[in-house]
Amino acid sequence: MSLRRNMARQRNIGIVALIFASVIFILPFVYIFLMAVKTKQEAALFLFSWPQQWQFWQNLVDVVKTRNYMLLLAYFNSTVITVGAVAMLVIFGAMVGYVLQRRPSGWNRVIYGCILIGLMVPPAVVPTIWVLQGLGLFKSIYGMILIQVAYGLAFSVLLYRSFISTIPRDLDEAAIIDGATPWQVFFRVILPLLKPVTVTLIVVQSIAIFNDFTNPLYYLPGKENVTVQLTLFNFQSQFQSQFNLLFMNILLVTIPPLLVFIFFNRQIVAGMTAGAVKG
Amino acid sequence: MKTFTYSAALAGAITLAAGMAQAEVTLSVLIDNNPETVASMEALTAAYTAANSDVTFDIEQRNGGADGDNIVKTRLATGEMADIFNYNSGSLFQALKPQETLADLTAIDGQANVLDSFKQVVTAPDGTVRGVPFGPAMGGGIFYNRKIYADLGLTVPKTWDEFMANNAKVAEAGKVPVITTFGDTWTSQLFVLADYYNVQAEVPNFAADYTANKAKYATTPAAMRGFEHLEAVFKAGYMNPDFGVAKFEDGMRMVATGEGAHYPMLTFGIGTVKQNNPDNLGDLGFFAQPGPDAGKNGLTVWMPAALYVPEASEHKDEAIKFLNYVASVEGCNTMIGAAGASGPYLIKGCELPADVPPAVSDMLPYFQTDGMTAPALEFLSPVKGPALEQITVEVGSGIRPAADAAALYDQDVEKQAKQLGLPNW
Repeated sequence: MSLRRNMARQRNIGIVALIFASVIFILPFVYIFLMAVKTKQEAALFLFSWPQQWQFWQNLVDVVKTRNYMLLLAYFNSTVITVGAVAMLVIFGAMVGYVLQRRPSGWNRVIYGCILIGLMVPPAVVPTIWVLQGLGLFKSIYGMILIQVAYGLAFSVLLYRSFISTIPRDLDEAAIIDGATPWQVFFRVILPLLKPVTVTLIVVQSIAIFNDFTNPLYYLPGKENVTVQLTLFNFQSQFQSQFNLLFMNILLVTIPPLLVFIFFNRQIVAGMTAGAVKG
Repeated sequence: MKTFTYSAALAGAITLAAGMAQAEVTLSVLIDNNPETVASMEALTAAYTAANSDVTFDIEQRNGGADGDNIVKTRLATGEMADIFNYNSGSLFQALKPQETLADLTAIDGQANVLDSFKQVVTAPDGTVRGVPFGPAMGGGIFYNRKIYADLGLTVPKTWDEFMANNAKVAEAGKVPVITTFGDTWTSQLFVLADYYNVQAEVPNFAADYTANKAKYATTPAAMRGFEHLEAVFKAGYMNPDFGVAKFEDGMRMVATGEGAHYPMLTFGIGTVKQNNPDNLGDLGFFAQPGPDAGKNGLTVWMPAALYVPEASEHKDEAIKFLNYVASVEGCNTMIGAAGASGPYLIKGCELPADVPPAVSDMLPYFQTDGMTAPALEFLSPVKGPALEQITVEVGSGIRPAADAAALYDQDVEKQAKQLGLPNW
């Protein structure tokens, strides 16, 4: 009797939590969508209402065509930057984390201190541009990728180092006894075991880099270097804004990170349970 | 051996092509992303390329506001600025260190067409002119709904008392007398900033004394009146009930469609009505902020942005030729054709078309009489406190009395004046 009542209560709490979560997470999306299909005049009212006149297709075409198909170029640029930077973050983060964790030496504290400084000290814009100009990387996609790697590396080293400490050393030793070279130990034994933390890192960093606004704004000037977040300023200006197109653009820009998240969400769970069984 | 001759021939061909291409120039242009700015610049560059086929343009957009300021300053500091760029005139222009970063445009042909009132807001401390006007001038004052005025038999007020009397009648008729939109905090400053014509009519050297730390808002009764106006409107209950959250777009809609009678704003709001409520454009009127004396009523003017050429530009001569075109009557007409006329262009001999919206034609008489306009304080003095909009929101919401607010604003500007290193602060 009391068990059944308990179950009923749990179910009710679950339903309430679900409603609460959907209000917080779903309603903003619904609002963006409704604003995106309205006419210019109606969107300027900022009401949470059903559109009187549906303009989905027309707004979509307008946004994509704006400034000579700028949005498509922006998708390409943002994808290149995100994929390039995240790949380097994963490989270098894991390598540095592995060495730092496995090789005790007097330098470790110093190196670790430097990494923490990288996490805490805010970067300055103008000197960074001077460095990029000196290297001939300013206004190039490669330069932007390197900046994102530099800004994100401290965090990923931190994450990998603490995760690698949970992997028993016996695995390395067994591989070495079996005749593996140091590279093989890292790439064939350790890196596959890092899958859960790698997936987490990919999700967190790719969303952060894809959605980054200020860094491309300052480090990647030029018409052909536009990224998706910068396209929002095609429709929003200091004095006059076209809110229907702005929200359509937001909708389009939100889709790729959402896909990444939905796709990798399964992987996160899968990776975690796989690790649990093995451990 | 064969490949070697081949590549040598190719290299020769490339050098030849490069030599021929030298006559053709691509000028890079950096402009803000206001629809009017973009339309004007696209029309100007298209017309210029049609006349000079060897010059093409590469237009890049930036955002406005604080981010835009940072982009312009960063790119000037790192030598990455475009060959031509647009930016505010007045105190923001002075913050670019014009005598070090911008090309001297004093002697270019186009300056002969530019009105002197504009030249003074793009003059560097060393007395050289560094920019040409780009876009129409704006007035700061009060939009009103012509229909409500006609229905209630009201006339355009010349003094503040007449204005308040009109408000009382509007309130009686059940409409909102003074639309207030503190959801966009910057809109709260208008009563103070647009009152500057009246301030200088009474205290002619306020700007100079203010910069030299001799005059203060709190101790100059004429200057404090702007804050008092805000307080008076709040105390009389003349605002819309949702004044704390309403936004600029709401304000323009309300005054255009007759939900409210008055909206203190800059005239660029006409463009917003044109986009969102085109049918009501004819109902929108405009008058300067009324002062204490009907005989001395005039308009506070915001000067347009200017086009500049950075000193470090590689194509300075070609860029200056283009600016000559922008400052010509022909260039001015191109801009009017592309962006419409929301205010007068500051080029001699450039007339506005006859079919401008009534809110624009309401503004023109002020410009046609000498002494009926005065630039806003921010074009005459580099001192403008960053917290004015927060302070005016407090006054307009009845949280802080006017005298207290004026004193607080005087403290606020002190920080900024010290940062600029002005003498006497």
